[in-house]
Amino acid sequence: MDTSSLNQIDFIAKARNASPSPPPRDGFLFTDLDDAQELPLQKLIRHWMNERHAPDILPIQAELLAGILDHIHKQSSTVSLLRTDPDASEDEHFRIMLAQTEIERVKFVVRSYVRTRLSKIEDYARWILADPLLQGRLSETELKHAKSYANLLATHFEESVLKALPGAQQSLDDPVPFMPPMITAPDKMRPVFVLARRDCPSVYLPDGTKMEMRKGQISLTQYRVIESLLFQDLVELV
Amino acid sequence: MALPQSLRTSVTPPELELIASEQLIDIVPLVTMEKTAFISGAYGPLRPPAKARVPLWIAVNLKLKRKCHIVPPEWLSVESLQDKLTRETSNPGFSELPFRFAEISKVILDIASDDLENPDKIRTLLKDIREARQSKSREGISKLDHSELGLSGLCSMEINEIRPFFIKGMSVLTKLIRDPEHPPKLDET
Repeated sequence: MDTSSLNQIDFIAKARNASPSPPPRDGFLFTDLDDAQELPLQKLIRHWMNERHAPDILPIQAELLAGILDHIHKQSSTVSLLRTDPDASEDEHFRIMLAQTEIERVKFVVRSYVRTRLSKIEDYARWILADPLLQGRLSETELKHAKSYANLLATHFEESVLKALPGAQQSLDDPVPFMPPMITAPDKMRPVFVLARRDCPSVYLPDGTKMEMRKGQISLTQYRVIESLLFQDLVELV
Repeated sequence: MALPQSLRTSVTPPELELIASEQLIDIVPLVTMEKTAFISGAYGPLRPPAKARVPLWIAVNLKLKRKCHIVPPEWLSVESLQDKLTRETSNPGFSELPFRFAEISKVILDIASDDLENPDKIRTLLKDIREARQSKSREGISKLDHSELGLSGLCSMEINEIRPFFIKGMSVLTKLIRDPEHPPKLDET
């Protein structure tokens, strides 16, 4: 048996035993919010949306991302191997096309997720570098990029303007009275649309009242109010 | 720019459509296909004329090549939508619709209107529902304050539609109310 037909079998065999049949997701209301049933791709999509809507940088989903990237890689190599098989039937071509389409879809999500994080890292590079706790939310590569980006920017400011100024005005993080701080930080007061994935413990609203979100509830409130719920995966941003 | 300016404030409708296309839908395939492993799960086998359950994006793909018929979800029918519309216009709250109904109904109406009974009527009903709901969500602006606004029952596309204005409005109210002498307790920054 040549390699291509071996892989063809692999393609089908994988289908038989690897992935459990997906649970029913009717999309009617909130049936798809259960953690145990949530498939990796759905999970990534949820974190991608959270990242898109949150003003702050969220913890990197390293394991999830690695799993998906691995899966993309495996699927692509299976597809490219099958493509080289001249005896493939039309049916086979069709499945390859579908698999290829899906790879592109997943790649889009991964790319958008990474780019969203990248843009936040560049916006808040110096703020992130000032806080070791925040650095824990970044992957190693992201942290490296944050450092080099902050350095680059500082050198650029230094070279182009600052070195010509008096010493007292050269700093990049002076507290200036009545002015916003010089280091840009995310605006945690920004309102977000939040959807409760299950019943949540109560949180305090800015006006001092308590709010207890029930599963399925949607609310518009400041990001800082629900930040802790978001980190516990109890809510998602929509 | 890592993320274009246009994508920074909100999600785009095509992105929402991509997310909604992961949801499963019933099809009647016209071709056979073995069970195949995809990244999101394993789907198939397709054996006409038995019904199969696949993600919407596969259904769209097959439909465009005339290789399947889409079985529309139960809520996407004239009776069901008529019922929703009646409830929508007689109750002050939002009636229960799938969270991503707007995206899913658009995709199905666009590519598989021949699989629907009376697609024109469905289109009109969806439009009426949309308008009834829109006026309700706009009424929500009058209740907007700096603290919280409950919007249960709203759907993803509708949230996306009101997002820029509501976020901006609430941010302004927050700034107006912020008391520099007694900074709110919650504020950690």
